Amino acid sequence: MSPAEVSAKADTKVRPEISSLKSSPESQAIGTGYETPLSVFLSPFKAARTQWVARRVIIMISLLFRFGVGLGPYSGFNDPPMYGDFEAQRHWMEITYHLPMSEWYWYDLQYWGLDYPPLTAYHSWLLGALGSKFEPSWFELVTSRGCEDINLKSYLRSTVLISELLIYIPAVSMFVRWTVENQKLSPLHHSIASAAILLQPALILIDHGHFQYNAVMLGLALLAITNILNDRLVVGSVFFVLSLFFKQMALYYAIPIFAYLLGGCIFPRLNLLRFISLALSVLVTFALVLAPIIVTSGGGATGAYDQGLQIMIRIFPFARGLWEDKVANFWCTLNIVVKVKQIYSADTLQRFSLLATLVSVLPAFFMLSVYPRRKALIWGVSATAWGFFLFSFQVHEKSILLPLLPVTLQLAAEPGTNTQSYIYWINNVAVFSLWPLLKRDGLVLQYFAVSFLYNWLMGSFTKLPDALLGKFIIILSYSGIAVLHIAEFFIEPPVQYPDLWVVGNSTLCFGCFALFLLWNYAQLYRACRAKA
Amino acid sequence: MALKFSLLPALRYSVIASICFKLLLYPAYKSTDFEVHRNWLAITYSKPFNEWYYEETSEWTLDYPPLFGYFEWFLSQFAKWVDLEMLAVENLGYSSVATVYFQRTSVIVSEFVLTYALQAYIQLLPENKRQPAYAIAMSIYFSPGFVIIDNIHFQYNAMLFGILVWSLVAMKQQRFLRGAILFATLLCFKHIFVYLAPAYFAYLLRIYCLDVSHFNLNSLVRAIRWKNSICLGSSVIFVALVAFGPFIYLGQIPQLLKRLFPFSRGLCHAYWAPNIWALYSASDRALFLLFRKVLDNPVYAEDSASLTRGLVGISSFNVLPDIEPRTTFLLTAFYQLIALIPMIINPSHDKFISALTLCGYASFLFGWHVHEKAILLVIVPFSFLTLKDRRYLTPFYLLTVSGYVSLFPLIFTSPEAPIKYLYTFTWIFAFYNVFDDLAPVRTTHRVFLLDRIAHVFLLGFIPLLIFVELYSQFAMFAGFEFLGLMMISTYCSLGILSSFVGFSWLYLFT
Repeated sequence: MSPAEVSAKADTKVRPEISSLKSSPESQAIGTGYETPLSVFLSPFKAARTQWVARRVIIMISLLFRFGVGLGPYSGFNDPPMYGDFEAQRHWMEITYHLPMSEWYWYDLQYWGLDYPPLTAYHSWLLGALGSKFEPSWFELVTSRGCEDINLKSYLRSTVLISELLIYIPAVSMFVRWTVENQKLSPLHHSIASAAILLQPALILIDHGHFQYNAVMLGLALLAITNILNDRLVVGSVFFVLSLFFKQMALYYAIPIFAYLLGGCIFPRLNLLRFISLALSVLVTFALVLAPIIVTSGGGATGAYDQGLQIMIRIFPFARGLWEDKVANFWCTLNIVVKVKQIYSADTLQRFSLLATLVSVLPAFFMLSVYPRRKALIWGVSATAWGFFLFSFQVHEKSILLPLLPVTLQLAAEPGTNTQSYIYWINNVAVFSLWPLLKRDGLVLQYFAVSFLYNWLMGSFTKLPDALLGKFIIILSYSGIAVLHIAEFFIEPPVQYPDLWVVGNSTLCFGCFALFLLWNYAQLYRACRAKA
Repeated sequence: MALKFSLLPALRYSVIASICFKLLLYPAYKSTDFEVHRNWLAITYSKPFNEWYYEETSEWTLDYPPLFGYFEWFLSQFAKWVDLEMLAVENLGYSSVATVYFQRTSVIVSEFVLTYALQAYIQLLPENKRQPAYAIAMSIYFSPGFVIIDNIHFQYNAMLFGILVWSLVAMKQQRFLRGAILFATLLCFKHIFVYLAPAYFAYLLRIYCLDVSHFNLNSLVRAIRWKNSICLGSSVIFVALVAFGPFIYLGQIPQLLKRLFPFSRGLCHAYWAPNIWALYSASDRALFLLFRKVLDNPVYAEDSASLTRGLVGISSFNVLPDIEPRTTFLLTAFYQLIALIPMIINPSHDKFISALTLCGYASFLFGWHVHEKAILLVIVPFSFLTLKDRRYLTPFYLLTVSGYVSLFPLIFTSPEAPIKYLYTFTWIFAFYNVFDDLAPVRTTHRVFLLDRIAHVFLLGFIPLLIFVELYSQFAMFAGFEFLGLMMISTYCSLGILSSFVGFSWLYLFT
């Protein structure tokens, strides 16, 4: 050991010990200025040379909790004949692996026909091919339907985790590094911010409990955002197209990103070269992703056209109505008072919803194209995503993950307690809005364990906003959530309203989401007006 | 020490975080030990006292000492409010959701014994010197051993080791009587701790019962502290009477002994614990295969080891001489004795802990029918010595990595596999960095080369585990289903053996 190392070791002997941290001025300087359980856990790694340990431990622990949730049941477990999302994903691996590409979007559409964009299909093909190496019967055509082998579950669970580890987690790390460098925050803040994003309960519960691959789409979108923030616009736009091609839901983010990129080409002066390179990169990525499936369609130009049209029809299921299950959005809530589905035709409703969505997102579009500021971008992305979630067509409860991601990112970018208190609050409301789904999946224990852990670890229970109105709203909505949970546990709903607790859930959540959209707009406005 | 229910913040936080994680393990795989403990709940609840050790509806008869039986009876008083069905002896294999939740919760609650014991350990030191104690306490609290054995596999080790830690704290405070009573209690919970008893016996005898300053051959009587000896003797007998008294009264002691010490088992468990006999068995297998290839002798045509393989494990060998139980006892006793001598000559608390650790090592490495879980008997006492100085780190790393990896085969189901790997890896990664940071430097007497070799050895676990996890996929290994387990236990036994050598060297010669 070199003398320098020896003296470095000697320095560590005088470091304050864990419990005395509580009052030490050093702990006041880190992160939010509050002593949270997480900062206590990280205190042994406070020295600069052990910071990297802390960051990796955070990632490992977030993976452990993902595996832990994964021990629980998944959607549609033991529920023939259709099962659930788990079976849907498995079924796509089965058909993509065994059928020629030209049949992917046409095969037996009644049984979980493929209705995600091509990148998901390629991803499924890869996982199907890989999984068939382990155990061919998991993905045997037709006969594997409803396969519930415990090893299949383990395999699929780990593919979710590995996909996330390869895409979402690096994206989060990149984003956090950007905020830390950009705002000159302490290294410890780096670990805390990573934990705040990586341990977000909603995504863990949906991807690793219910079972989906949302983290891939969100990770690609986040890579796009981070690259754009780092001024690598072309790379960013390529990632965004990939995200769209993984799951069409990324469209919720498209408008603000488009506005920001467009604004960057126009203000402060016209930059035609940038515009052309962006347009080209987007088009080329589009073409490259679609090429395999279009080229192999067979039947020449008409075949290619039919294939393209079929993909569009599958991806945008306008025929499926304004909503399916109860969702905490505007239409479902309106439906309690006015039975919109009975009054208006599906076409009219489609137009209404388009109009309402546009009204809710256009301000963000204009603000971002006029003020393409980095800090405004994320607020713009979240405002638009909330607009889409609350007003657009065919929204699923799981889509809450889309507005939630950019909002949660602000935990890293905005270390102030005031902002954070609103963000933790909406995260909790969002997890509550997933409760009926998770309860149906049998993930009750996981729901409580993971969401409690997150709030407790980040110290969000002790955080309330400065404004009296904010305090009032947060406390009121938390009380509402508690009452609904307790009522559901102890009281049978009346016979004429069997869905009473679910309706209460979605109404309460809609109220909170709508208020949050307004607050989000206020933040966007503030960020746009702030000095660049 | 006064019982205080408020926990130090860092411990309180650890408890909350680990409970959140352990809740997620409720649906995880559970071994037959889960059914064993359910059956004990049922026996103690629904059978009269005098039938506890005779009841044999289930093959998982009560084979722990009476205090554990009382503990199960105590739990059953709560279990009856949860699900009465789990308390029926005939309900073999009963595992309703309520039963699982109840039993898993009882493990988590019983862990508070360990938590409070560790708090007492931390509080032995003044507040500004607690950093190393915190690190050690956390490393024990978050030990992958407890998560794998207690929270997944299903046992109550954390509680039992809590009693051990508590007793060690009392010994450190020089409250020897309390330490002895606690250890005697522990023995009456689970008799496997008898492996550690020689160190306790010798240390208490030397420091509490004898007065060496008055020692001369003419008047041995004056060298004995009569008051202390009588106190100690009577209180240990009192504990034993509380536990065993009712059964002595019923005249069931022979039956109890038959249950507690089933001698019909083989030298090695079905899965070889990573000790000297694993190496011995592996050499035997290797020689046997070699001889069968090279010599065309009909003696080697029949594989006698495979005949006895199974539940009882291996007890006879093909090539090497068979091992008698007496041999293992003599070897264990010999190495334990060696460990005790320096402590008797020059007693101190650190020497006592070292002797305790070596007693654990000796019985684990040389004992008859050792379970892989017994490695905790070595790891937990050793943990308290880790931060004495840097030289202890290498044997500690060898011991913990080998010991915890050797527990992996307990959990062989695919959903839990990533958890056992990742949890252990996270523990190793976090605590080794903390220990490296905290251990005081001692630049003299360090054998760098050996440290390097140890690190290379530890890195060897990565390809080993990858191979073992995947080898069943390759057709060329068909028919060698035990190969993976054999490789793990052989490699781990090398690690544990070398950590034993390293630790003994530090203890005996420095």
